[in-house]
Amino acid sequence: MKALRDKSGAILASLAALLFFSGFSAQSFAVPSFARQTGVACEGCHTVFPELTPFGRSFKLNGYVMDNLPQVKGMTTDNKEALLLNWLPPVSIMFQTSYTSTSKPLPDVSGIGNSQNGQVLFPQQASLFYAGRIAPNLGAFIQMTYASDSGTFGWDNTDIRYADHATLSGKDVTWGVSLNNNPTVQDVWNSTPAWQTPFDQRSSAAPTPTAATQLDGPLTDSGVAGLTVYGYFANSIYAEFGAYRSSPQGFAGQSGAGPLDSSASNVVRGAAPYWRLAYERQWDRSSWSIGAFGMDVDLFPGGGTALAGVTNKYRDVALDTQYQFIGDSSIYSMQAVYIHEKQTLNAFAGQSDTLNTLRVGGSYYYQRKYGGAVGYFSTTGTTDPLLYPSGTAVFGSANGSPDSKGWIAELNYIPWQNVKVALQYTAYNRFNGGKTDYDGAGRNASDNNTTYLLGWINF
Amino acid sequence: MTSRPIQLLLAGAALHLMAPAFGAEDVEIARLASQVCASCHGPHGDSISPAFPRLAGQNAAYIEAQLKSFKDQTRGDAYAQAYMWGMVAQLDEDTMKRLAVYYAAEKPNPGRPGDPANMAQGQHIFDSGIAASGIPPCASCHGANAQGKDAIPRLAGQHPEYLVKQLVAFKSLQRGNAPVMHVVTDKMTLEQMRAIADYAASK
Repeated sequence: MKALRDKSGAILASLAALLFFSGFSAQSFAVPSFARQTGVACEGCHTVFPELTPFGRSFKLNGYVMDNLPQVKGMTTDNKEALLLNWLPPVSIMFQTSYTSTSKPLPDVSGIGNSQNGQVLFPQQASLFYAGRIAPNLGAFIQMTYASDSGTFGWDNTDIRYADHATLSGKDVTWGVSLNNNPTVQDVWNSTPAWQTPFDQRSSAAPTPTAATQLDGPLTDSGVAGLTVYGYFANSIYAEFGAYRSSPQGFAGQSGAGPLDSSASNVVRGAAPYWRLAYERQWDRSSWSIGAFGMDVDLFPGGGTALAGVTNKYRDVALDTQYQFIGDSSIYSMQAVYIHEKQTLNAFAGQSDTLNTLRVGGSYYYQRKYGGAVGYFSTTGTTDPLLYPSGTAVFGSANGSPDSKGWIAELNYIPWQNVKVALQYTAYNRFNGGKTDYDGAGRNASDNNTTYLLGWINF
Repeated sequence: MTSRPIQLLLAGAALHLMAPAFGAEDVEIARLASQVCASCHGPHGDSISPAFPRLAGQNAAYIEAQLKSFKDQTRGDAYAQAYMWGMVAQLDEDTMKRLAVYYAAEKPNPGRPGDPANMAQGQHIFDSGIAASGIPPCASCHGANAQGKDAIPRLAGQHPEYLVKQLVAFKSLQRGNAPVMHVVTDKMTLEQMRAIADYAASK
């Protein structure tokens, strides 16, 4: 009985953790306050939100400051701008509601039978944005999100940036500084993890694979803040460098010294360097980009162990590419990313593992109204029972392998540019290392296949 | 009576003051063009996507007239509404004029031969019109080399696809700020529009 209770507790804890994290990693982008500020319809910046057009990329790189609204202005005595504020604050609201059904219901926390299937979340997620200009060269995308699974408001994607222009060899250089809380949230191509379409919208009520590279979310979930500097030369060559440091949230009331004490988990040792290089070419109605990015992260496991001594080291190196065709009637795009992570886990058992993630997706839209997308995802790596333990239904791995693979397909209907309805199906060929009985508790990978209906409005 | 050196000094100062307002030395406008307009129209008005017109070398009076049409919303084709109505909302007439002068001074894009199947038909309509359909020769207003004049736009070097879209918009009255062009295009077929666009853009 105790074993059963322990098992139930573990399942509950795992579920809670999963739901909490997946709820906050469900990305959102497409902010009507940008449209209000610029006077440009959503289609200016997005093919279909959240994917950015070349104009949208330019708007973001320029610090979200382009405006066509009356401004409150302040000038210095030498006639320089000291204040430039929109008459109305650039505030927007996003509301998502969803229905989720897995092929087989998840185990009931009582340990007896299965839970009810067919989860309605209303809202799944609701966000309040400040998105727009703050000062002459300073703008922000700030998102606060209420997630139904945690039942609380939390700090979500944030990118505050300063941008300006310079000339190099007679060519224009857009340069800037971004202060953000999620590596790649500041990126302008939808082939990097934070905004990768069509993988950016997933149900927060369905299980997702356990293993993920640091760039794919775990680092962001543990709370980080980063400062990066970027330059975009002649609208073609992009370079960015910066560093991230732990910035945990919700530490008040804990014993100890504060946010960086050992009660936090996965605390960054010092600062984790981040880099990004990309090349983009535009021709006719097409654009193509290819790039690389990466991060070196040293993490103290924390969680009650001292934040000193050995660390777990993660070196992520990624390649990405994107192609877009934006016609008057037809829009199609393709995004791909490959992330290789080398793990040297000195704070665990000193083992060296690897993790490789590949995601390839493509989408088509007709008249920006009817569309579909399909994508393939795969995460494979070193079998490591210490890192991917068995013993937990649904979320464990009976063979200690992190491997998960599958497909995602979705149909979209966008009746208006700020409203989207998506029907998505995710099929797993492999989940947490196996195809059948992957968790050792009788669950098959395909049991996690998910039907997901999402309603998404922005205003 | 003012001495000649002082006259020269005053003239120089006046030119210096005028320079930022009109012409290639207008740094403020160059910055506006490179930081805002360039996002769609290219760094020197040489846009890449045919969704957005090339402005380099376009006639200043035409650009100014279009900016005013966007602002007073008399030009209402789809892209005008989606992009330009908002973009010009805070532009004053002086800024419009200076933007127009800035782009007119840029080097126009050289024309490239269009679809060979269209060129002969396009040249015929461009030079001679189709009397039976009430289509006058394009050259009669836009010039033999499609260079335009004053408020009549330059077509040479433009994206052919953009020109076709404008002809369609004139015909459908989506773009209602040029009544003459509605009359011209009223009986024009899509095939003829493509031929004219390919030929005019190639000049």
